[in-house]
Amino acid sequence: MGYDLSRLRQVSDQVAVVGVGDTDYAKDYEAARVARQEGREEIGALDSYGLAALAFRRALADSGLKKEDIDGIAVGGPVVHQRVCEILGINPVWGIEGHQSDILLPLAVQAIASGACTTVALIYGNAQRSMGTRYGGGGIGSDQPTSYYYYHPWGWSSQGAHYAMMFKAHQLMYGSTEEQLGTVSRTIRKHAMLNDNAVMKTPISEDEYNNARYIARPLKIYDYCLVNDGGVAIILTTKERAKDLPKTPVLVSGFGRATAEIGATQLRDRMFDLYHEVLKQSGDQAFAMSQMTTKDVGHFQTYDAFSVHLPINLEGFGFCKPGEGLEYIQDGRIEIGGELPCNTSGGMLSESYMQSWNHQVEAVRQLRHEAGRRQVEDVQTSMFCHHGSGGAFSIMYRRGN
Amino acid sequence: MTERRPNRTLGPDHDTFWAYCNQGEFRLQQCNTCSKIQWPPTPMCNECLSDEFTWTPMSGRATINTYCTFERPYYKECPPPWEAILVELEEGPLFMSNPKGFSVEGKERGTPVKVTFLDCEDDAGPFKLPVFELAD
Repeated sequence: MGYDLSRLRQVSDQVAVVGVGDTDYAKDYEAARVARQEGREEIGALDSYGLAALAFRRALADSGLKKEDIDGIAVGGPVVHQRVCEILGINPVWGIEGHQSDILLPLAVQAIASGACTTVALIYGNAQRSMGTRYGGGGIGSDQPTSYYYYHPWGWSSQGAHYAMMFKAHQLMYGSTEEQLGTVSRTIRKHAMLNDNAVMKTPISEDEYNNARYIARPLKIYDYCLVNDGGVAIILTTKERAKDLPKTPVLVSGFGRATAEIGATQLRDRMFDLYHEVLKQSGDQAFAMSQMTTKDVGHFQTYDAFSVHLPINLEGFGFCKPGEGLEYIQDGRIEIGGELPCNTSGGMLSESYMQSWNHQVEAVRQLRHEAGRRQVEDVQTSMFCHHGSGGAFSIMYRRGN
Repeated sequence: MTERRPNRTLGPDHDTFWAYCNQGEFRLQQCNTCSKIQWPPTPMCNECLSDEFTWTPMSGRATINTYCTFERPYYKECPPPWEAILVELEEGPLFMSNPKGFSVEGKERGTPVKVTFLDCEDDAGPFKLPVFELAD
């Protein structure tokens, strides 16, 4: 049982990203910082719906489509489908809500490829800083994984603690060091400095990283992503319709999904295997569907709620061997101009914590060759990947004609 | 001395786990059909879908898998630095807990530990919390 590769291949490169939009992460974060300094409440001018709507309007303008062309809407973040549709004035024939971009985007591709609709707007809005959102807690029947709350009596909580234990496991198994891990945050910050819309744009020196305060040891403050307000929208349509639109289409060539729900509370796949097996399964599907290998990947966008994601994903997808991820990323290999440029807009560690949504936008901008100062020269393909509670997810993109 | 702790998850099956702990017994659900040991408590065996279990005593022997130290406060009951360990029970399951009588710093994966109980209290009342100390 599992996916049917011959049918998946029929979907490969049939649906294109034709529009992307995002909000003013840096400006909004700065406004919040000033408010805090002046002793005012850090409430942004836009709530989650306002951010979602602004991102949509920008993505629509970017695509050259009209509002009436949108017949599918997928929403993510703390916004509900009905209210987003009402605000935008759209009655879609296809819709879904409540997931991350890496789950929603493949579903939208499948909806378009099957004929259920022709043009989908994926929309995310999250005023998480203004709302004081905390990630963790919950309870049975909530949308939080059991491992987020079941261990309260032992004082164990937070997503960060999951990654602190994963990195400690990596250290215990492979002898990796905190200094090596620092390369992740420092490189991604370097990329953010080439992105005016990134929230964090001051360099992190080796000393600053090494002497930074711990949050959940062995992870330091720089290993944690930001919490900021923002919105993202992504518009998908058929390859045929994309030909008539102004921007270079970016084709969705493949996707993969492998889950690790069994033992999720015990954290077995996480801690014993560092998710290597599910990452491999997810990658195998995406590579086979897109008919690419690791050697074909010109740009790599990884979910980076924590710096630890990056080496583990590189290992799991086969860019290097298990245990070698932190050696692999040294010496400029993941920098723009290096062998495998990673998280070129600054990711969630330095650009914006859009829970994977900003990564898709950056992949598209790179493949359109409109990334300006941070452009990866003549890049033709990009891979996105994510692992987290529940499994591993990947998306392959290819520059269209 | 009784330690105040954040609240447990209670309810069917969870209550049984804590009731055994309160007697100083470390027991987990074991499937009567396929023998798989479950943690956390579950209404159905995730191997064979049976709902017949026996609460089987665990040996209490385990090894350290990984750990972390909270360096900022997450719970008022648990001031930093607060250490947590994930141990692998001899019978298979992984179990999140705390070290007792030792610090995790510098500990290797595979370090042998054994269960012991701490006298604790949460909103639901006093209870005994399984934690792990270094094995001889």
